[in-house]
Amino acid sequence: MMDAQLLASGVIFGLSIGSIFFLMAIGLSLCFGLMRIISLDQLLYYSIGAYITYSVSLATGSIWLGMLGGVFVAGIASMAVERFVFPRIYEREITFSMITSFGILIGGIGIIKYFWGVVPRPVPVPTLAQIDILGTEVPIYRLIVIVVAALVYIGIWLFLNRTIIGKAIRAGIEDVEHVEGLGINVSRLFTITFIIAGSLSGLAGGLHAPLIMVDPQMGLEVLAFVFMVVIIGGLGSIKGTLVSAFIVGQVVSLGSLVYAPLAQMAPFAIMLLILLVKPTGLYGSALLKR
Amino acid sequence: MPPDSGIALNDGEILSVRGLTAAYGESKVLFEIDLSAKHRQVVACVGRNGAGKTTLLKSIAGFVRPRSGSIMANQVSLVGLKSYDIARMGIKYIPQDKKVFSDLTVRENLELGSYATGDYDWNRITAYFPKLRELMDRKAGYLSGGERQMLMIGRALLGRPKVLLIDEPTEGLAPSIVAHLKDVFTELSRNTALVMVEQNLPLVCAIAAKVYALKEGRMVAELTDRESIRPEVCERYL
Repeated sequence: MMDAQLLASGVIFGLSIGSIFFLMAIGLSLCFGLMRIISLDQLLYYSIGAYITYSVSLATGSIWLGMLGGVFVAGIASMAVERFVFPRIYEREITFSMITSFGILIGGIGIIKYFWGVVPRPVPVPTLAQIDILGTEVPIYRLIVIVVAALVYIGIWLFLNRTIIGKAIRAGIEDVEHVEGLGINVSRLFTITFIIAGSLSGLAGGLHAPLIMVDPQMGLEVLAFVFMVVIIGGLGSIKGTLVSAFIVGQVVSLGSLVYAPLAQMAPFAIMLLILLVKPTGLYGSALLKR
Repeated sequence: MPPDSGIALNDGEILSVRGLTAAYGESKVLFEIDLSAKHRQVVACVGRNGAGKTTLLKSIAGFVRPRSGSIMANQVSLVGLKSYDIARMGIKYIPQDKKVFSDLTVRENLELGSYATGDYDWNRITAYFPKLRELMDRKAGYLSGGERQMLMIGRALLGRPKVLLIDEPTEGLAPSIVAHLKDVFTELSRNTALVMVEQNLPLVCAIAAKVYALKEGRMVAELTDRESIRPEVCERYL
């Protein structure tokens, strides 16, 4: 029987890992929703975010500054890829985007290896303070990660619901051709969405860096989990992505407490179960069929 | 090679299509289509399903790239332009699917039209469709077919378009709504050219100054006088 202390620490761990998954998956989900592409290169921006956090924090001593730099560089990298590579992909079948973005990811990993080498790098935790929750000591940094994800969710919600660009993106998720028909430049919407996605992936990498060792393959290591989060939540749904990220986070965390291999297997089982009951994912909509 | 774009418009013409050929992949849908519309003129295209009427409108609106031919509006070639640039030039396409942005409210749908055009004069829209006033905060997904059509037309009217390309506007609507739309189209034609694809022949014949008949992608008739613009005459070409 699991005791309360172990459970509390497992839940907090699950929430923090779920927060990282959420920040990464939101980009994939938005990109699919609006542009109908599978943007596996988001995992590259995640790695870039982590590596820039490592380098900047090493140079300046500030991990927070490193994370900010990670978000910025990831945003710039994603903008470059969107402007120069994806315009040729948008009108093609979805598999093209999958193969191309996977190529960008693999190429990007090569560039990371060239600059930073293959040896995993440690990034110090910004704060070592701990807080007592239900009698167990929980690192404050993990709580910060959860709060950042919650703030990002609120920010994205406000952006999509309260700004005209956000409303145009929501409309585009329903029908991009009708948005164009109104006279709205959808290429600009695509670029904005891609930069948001890339920056959030970079933020995920920066936040995750102090919790793991930064290494060139780190994007590939979380690929399956992020994919599951997007599929379970329902492609194109921000709320679904959040719920699903926390489900997968908890399954990974609590599963490993029960039986270690469950951390890897259980999310797949959950995904299969959910897809059997609801093939469009928890909050996926038939509207997304184009 | 891009289609020819060096054709001048005749007097008063706001839209001129010459020798338009369009295809989806290898399958040709339109063959050498000619069509023109003058300022403040209602032009209708009739024909059976699959005749190429929607493709014709989509080609003008920039959603289908022509294989050959020219499309001119106000001395500017539309061929090769992005659909959003064509919309910004005041040539708006209202599709037949009545697909509004269902997750957005009526107000948000109109806001997008205003954002695209910079025209925030909604009084003009609600003067045509007073019902939209009371539906402003309703999600567009909950609107009836007629209300959706009102919203789509209202949204397209923002920016005071010069040409409205309207695809089957009355399809599936109640007779009272059709009668209302007929009045709206008549009123709109005081300032705007309307190019309309429509199966409702009595409506077409009541408001159109010119009727084109399409059959299997070819223009088979152009009716321009009141004597010939009658349902029984149009029927012959279907």
